[in-house]
This record gives sequence, C-alpha cells and structure tokens, in this order.
Amino acid sequence: MFDKLKSILEKVDAEYADIRHETKMETRIAFNGRELNEIGGNTTDGYVLRVLDKGGYSSIAFTDLDNQEKAVRTAIENAHLMSRFTEHPVAFEKVDIITEEYAPGLTEDPRQISIDEKLALTKKYNDLVLSNDKIATTNINYLELVREKHFANTEGSAIREELVTNRISGLITSRDGNLIQNIRVAAGGSSGFSVLRNREAVFENKSRIATELLRAQPVQGGCYNVVLNQHLGGVFTHEAFGHFSEADIIENNLTMRDKMKLGTRMGCEKVNITDDPTMTGQLGHYRYDDEGVMAKRTPLLKRGVLVGRLHSRRTASAFGEPVNGHTVAEDYRYAPIIRMGTIFIEPGDDTFEGLIDKLGNGYYLLDAKGGETSGENFTFGAQYGFVVKNGKIGEMVRDINISGNLYSTLANIIAISNDLKLSETGGCGKGQANIRSCYGTPHILINELIIGGS
Amino acid sequence: MERLIEAAKFHSDAFEIYELDESRNTIEFEDGKLKDIQSTIHAGVALRIIKDRRAGFAYTKNLSNHEALVLNAVDTLKGGVEAPYDFPPAKSVPTLNTYDVAIEQMTNSTIVDECRRINALMKSKVSGQINIDAGTSISGIKIRNSSGADLSTKTSYYAITISILYPESATGIERSLEFKKFEEVGDSFLNSLIDLYNRSEREITAGGRMKILFMPEAMYTLIWRLQSAVSGKSLYHGQSPLAGKLNTDIFSKQLSIIDNPLDDSHPGARAFDDEGVPCKELVIVDKGTLTNYYYDLFYAAKMKAKPNGRGFKTSRWNDDRISVRPMPTLTSLFIEPGTTGFEQLIGSMQRGIIVCGALGAHSGNIPNGDFSIGLSPGLYVEGGQIVGRIKDAMIAGNIYSIMNRVLDIEDCLHPAYTGYYPAVLFDDINVATKS
Repeated sequence: MFDKLKSILEKVDAEYADIRHETKMETRIAFNGRELNEIGGNTTDGYVLRVLDKGGYSSIAFTDLDNQEKAVRTAIENAHLMSRFTEHPVAFEKVDIITEEYAPGLTEDPRQISIDEKLALTKKYNDLVLSNDKIATTNINYLELVREKHFANTEGSAIREELVTNRISGLITSRDGNLIQNIRVAAGGSSGFSVLRNREAVFENKSRIATELLRAQPVQGGCYNVVLNQHLGGVFTHEAFGHFSEADIIENNLTMRDKMKLGTRMGCEKVNITDDPTMTGQLGHYRYDDEGVMAKRTPLLKRGVLVGRLHSRRTASAFGEPVNGHTVAEDYRYAPIIRMGTIFIEPGDDTFEGLIDKLGNGYYLLDAKGGETSGENFTFGAQYGFVVKNGKIGEMVRDINISGNLYSTLANIIAISNDLKLSETGGCGKGQANIRSCYGTPHILINELIIGGS
Repeated sequence: MERLIEAAKFHSDAFEIYELDESRNTIEFEDGKLKDIQSTIHAGVALRIIKDRRAGFAYTKNLSNHEALVLNAVDTLKGGVEAPYDFPPAKSVPTLNTYDVAIEQMTNSTIVDECRRINALMKSKVSGQINIDAGTSISGIKIRNSSGADLSTKTSYYAITISILYPESATGIERSLEFKKFEEVGDSFLNSLIDLYNRSEREITAGGRMKILFMPEAMYTLIWRLQSAVSGKSLYHGQSPLAGKLNTDIFSKQLSIIDNPLDDSHPGARAFDDEGVPCKELVIVDKGTLTNYYYDLFYAAKMKAKPNGRGFKTSRWNDDRISVRPMPTLTSLFIEPGTTGFEQLIGSMQRGIIVCGALGAHSGNIPNGDFSIGLSPGLYVEGGQIVGRIKDAMIAGNIYSIMNRVLDIEDCLHPAYTGYYPAVLFDDINVATKS
C-alpha cells in the first residue's frame, strides 16, 4: 500500500503533500424491540490527499483510483486558488519523520469472534431490557468499526495504524399511556470484545431507570446549583471547554483568540483539565493522528489557568504553539480536523457525599443525552436527575437540559470529587462523527447553571 | 453492472441495486479570509436482496468484485432479518427539473469571488466578524430492481451560508440560500442580516413567560418531534403519541405542514424515493388536523399501509448514504406561509424573544414532543422593537402544547435544516435565565 501511496504523491508538484488510505470494516447488528433489523459486515475504502503549496492548502477525498489524476489536479488547483487570496499563508509546523506500524493491544479481537456470538450477546442484553413490562421498545445495536490506515507524506513519513472500536448501545423507551420516556444505554470501548461481556447490570439498571422516569416529575426551569456525575461532567467538559481548546475553532476569530490567550485564568484553583490520547485501553486512544503526528498528553487548564491548546500542524504554526497530534478524521471520506482524544477533569480531593452535602439544595444530574456548542454557549441534556434538599438526595426528575456560557460556568466549578471515570462510548459531531471521542470527570459541583423547563 | 445483476439474480428471489455518484466542493471564509477548500469525488453501490422473505444487504465503494458484493449480501441473510415487502415495479414518474447544466461551468474561483464580494459589501456595515461557507455538489442516483424498475436522477446544488458573529463569541446571526446553480446573493438578503445583527448588539437579561418567534433556522427543533411522531417506524414500535390520531386536531388551525419532494423550484427535488417508490405530495397536517403518516417499504408492510415514497437513505449523523438502509424520511417539508410580514410579526410582540438558533434540539425527549433548547442567539423584543440579544437563556415546552398556541406566521419561506419554513410566532413560552 505504501508504494501505491508514494506513487500518487510523486504526481503532486507541490511543497508538501500527504495521502491517507483507509480500509473501513463495519459490522452492525440492530434490534428494534424484539425484531432483528440489521445484521452483517461491509468493507469499504478510500483516499484523502492534502496539498500545501505557495501558502495555499486544500484537500480532496476520492474512492476510485481511476480518479487519482483528477484528484491531484483538483487539489493543486484549489491550493493555488487559496494561495492567491489568503492573507496569511498556510504553513505546517515541523514534525518528526516517522515510519512505524502500530496496532493497540486488544483483549479479544472482535474480528475473531463469530457474528453468531455477537448476535447472541446483543440479543441477550436486548431481551434483558424487554423483560421489563413497562418498556415499550428498544433500539439496541452492536457496532464494530475497524479502521486500517496507511499514511504517507512527501517528508518521508509512512505510518500504518489500526483502530478497533466495538460497542453495544442504544435507546430504551418506556411508556405509560401517552407519556413516553427514553434513556440511553451503552457498553463498549477500544480495548477489545471482552469489554462487552458480563455487562448485564448496565442494561438492567438503565431499564429500571427508564420505568422510574415514567413516575418522575419534569424539572422546573430556572437557575440552580448542581452536582454532575462523571458522564455528564465529561460531556460538559467536552462541549463547554474542550471545543474551545481546539485551535481551528478560534483561529480566525481575533476577539476569541484574545480571550483564550494562554495564561488566562478561566476557572478556580481546583480545576485541572487535560486531553490525553496516549492512554492505552481507553476509548480515545491512538498513537498517531491523521497528519502523521505522534499524540501527546496535553494539559489544557492547570489550577484554573489556560496552559495549552489542541493543534494541527497548520494551527500550531499559526499560533506559534507546540503541535500535539490531535488532528483526526472520521474515515476516508474526510480530511482530518482538530479533535479531542480523551479529555477529562483531573480528580480533586472531595468525595461524592461531600459534594452533595456542599450542594445543600439543587439537583444531582446524571448521564448525558447529547450536547451541542455554538461558540462559548453550550447546551446538553441529562438523562435523569434527583432533587437535592438539605444535602439529601430526593425524588427523581426528568426532561433536563442545561445551558450555559463557557467562561461563567468554568469559573463556577467550586468542588471536585476524587472519583474520575472515563466514558466507554462517545460521539462528537463537529462536522464529522467521532465515535472514539472519550471524556470523563469526577463528580463536580457547579453553581448557577440554567436548566430549561416549564 | 450487468454482471452484478446476473449474480444477484442467481443468488436471490429479488434484488435492488442502488448506485450513487457524487462530487462536492466546499469553501470556507472566516473573518473575510479564505480558510479552506475541500473537494470530494465519491461513488458507491448498495445491494439489497430478498431470499425466502429474508433481507440481505451489502455495499461497496469500488465495484471491482461483483460476486463478492453479492455473496456479502447473501451472508447477511443468515441473520434472518425479515423482508415483508417486494421491490416496486416500474412506474412512470414525472420528469423534474433537478439539474442545471450551468453548475458544470462553475469553478471554485467563482465562489471565492462571490464570498469576497459579499464580505467587502457587508464589512463596512457591521462590526461583527463575517463568516461564509459555500459549496456545490452534483449527485447522480440510479435504482434498478428485479421487478423492472430502472430509475435515475441527477441533482445540482449550490448553497451559501453567511454568519455575522457577536464580539468575543462564535454565536451570531446566520442564514442560508440554496439554488440549483450559481446565483449572486441579493442586496436585500444581505441587508436583512445586517439589520438583524445591528439591532441585537446589546446584551440583555430577561426571563419569564413570553411570546416566542421561532425563526426558520430554529423550526427544526419542533419539526423533528413531529417527524418522529408521524413516522411509520415510531408507529410500529409504539413510540408515537400520534398513533390512532389521524383526522384529529393536533395543532393550531393556522398550521399546515406538507412534504412535497416533487417541488422542483428548490434544489434536491425527487420523483421517486431511494427504494424506487414514486413520490407525491403528502399533507401531514392540514389546518391543524393530522392527515397522514409516512412510510418506507418495510414499515408500510408492517403497518399494513401503502408505501408513500418516503424511504430514503439518510442519517442524522452524516453516515455515508451508501452504507445505510432506507428508512421513513421526510425530505421536502414546508409549512404553509401566513400573510404577515416579518417586521409586522416583530411589531406585534409587546415582549418576547426571537429564536435565531437552537442549541441542543437533539437532546430532549423527542418521542414525547418535549424540547428544551439554549438560545443561540435569542433576540429580545420590547414594545415591538428588537432591543438586544438575550444572555444565557433557555426555552422549553412540548410541541403538542405550544403548536396549539400559534399567534401568527410569516408570509414567506426560507431554506432551513429539514425543510423550507416561515418564522412562526407562539404565545406564552417559559424562558429560563439567571435573573
């Protein structure tokens, strides 16, 4: 494959070019209620070529090798078009030349497990959920995604890396008359198939919560102090802070760049946030990003002060900051963009019980139900929550969406417990999907979050 | 392709071959600077087969081995996925005007020039940062099946989205236009954006119950919940609060919501769906009354209903179209416009908020019709005038309640996510803020 990639690169008359070929192997099993809706595997592949010349940059994705001449021509034309009009010529930060093949260790390679066994396990968890008579239906899916990537550039790098992700996840819907509630359930990771075994408790627990939601009261809209659990805290960290640490988000927004200068205080002394794709066994692990740059553990916020940022080679050069291997594509359909790998708030010295006690009155909110950011504003949903009165956890509440502003909310994190937990499944939709987006926190206490409600 | 057809015939009782060819260019300007140019040339083939009433499915990006694709589909039959439908026979479908050959003469240079022109024109009139995304696509779809259907369509598409950002923020006023070929953006469109931005520069804190004007760009928040409730899939799986409610009043009499893939005045019109079933106009809500559900082949068979040409290979999370199976999908929704101009709508609000963008529309309890969104941004209206933009606020409600409190509807449609919508004014929605 490297010979094929190099032969395409030889056709590119430019200062720099790189090309990535990916073979993507997907296995999917899907249940809707008791019915099997989908089962099977497919393999597809494609190429992404990137060209940098005369300060202009462009990329092209193509699937048919017969189109390689056209792809090369188009990429060069687009790079030159950009070079004519760009005020700040694009440059790439210098990085090491790497030749390596890397495949993370797996405890049970899912490719060695039969489709029958995968089906049986998915069905077992689906049946467990459906054994609860208040469950109206399920949408429980097995997904296995293997990306076999070959990367080569004109500097001489040649990297092969394999990323294997598997999960059993979905939606559980409960119903009582006209009231419909749903909750997400997930088990998975990138450490192998064994992470999916013996997870009955996860599915039983979420099935129980789905039925309890039918008796829960809708949350009252307003401004509250809240404790977030690890999953919800992780989505908060990803959505509210993490995206603003991605240099491409603020690259051309001068007022935002000014506000996000390294050295700026953004949170209280207790808050330390790091992104680290190098942690083997975690969902977000990879060794090289899709620019062929080795991933690095990157402290972002230390004692509340901004100390780092996630970069591509292009933005590292533009910002004059170190490159750290955070430029990742969904698959062969896309050029890579800057993304988080595994982002987390580092553990504090409080306990969960201590946080609830400090909260006094407010809400304890659990498990994310999707999130979204637009600049400094974020919104994310909680799957369920509990009223907290006088430091005691009370009745369940539902229909919880939280909104806030990055700067004020980060400053309002006032206590952090010692129980960090990272997510097993992820999903980030910044232009492309990233199912290996990993996040987590300990329990965190935040003052004055807005909760939407009637 | 003939070899694939022969192999599919040999291994199945019935088959369907779906081919997709697509090329795209996207151009991104940030703060008047050309940031990125990306191109894509993709193709693919998806095969569905039926054997002994079981369904098989496979796809590929490079059809180098016909037999392997068919055998992969055959392999999936073992799972026992039910196929309670037949592929539709050949039927004549109307010829739609979906492709403008002028798109082939258009270069990225044309788009870059247009973005620079717009930026220069707007820059002197607003203080906010101007971002522009523009792009073209040409896509071709062919569907052949063992029942004799042999259909094809070719689509040209040019879209441009212009945003003006508030200072120290990535939130702003944003609107899009869509065409079948390149067209210059008109001054009145740009001036309306500039005007909205300039009137909303001041940050204001306000909350409580008030009138809410959903801009077309935020209407998908509500429409998603309706789409979920009237889908054949939701009905079959017991997830729809509208099951059994055909011909009952569900919304205000002012609301008519229609899906019309045949309307080729907009780009992307379709005479047939991704299963080869002819499309026709489908009135979902007629003056507040629920009139139709929508189906693909699978869920129509399950619900013992007639398929109505709504089986499309789409996915909310941008999955590759080739890799997904058709599902019940509404592609060409619009809300019947009213008779009131946009400025008159604002003038009729003593106190209220204009929701220009929604954050978190996907994360509420969609089947139940509940929503709870951040305002990104929400413009504050007092005494019939926009006086600023609201800081840190959320609104929440349930569509079966608020869509019965429609006060007025704008007199024209705008392209937006999931369809073409007017701005719609609702009464009495709670706004949660820090105040």
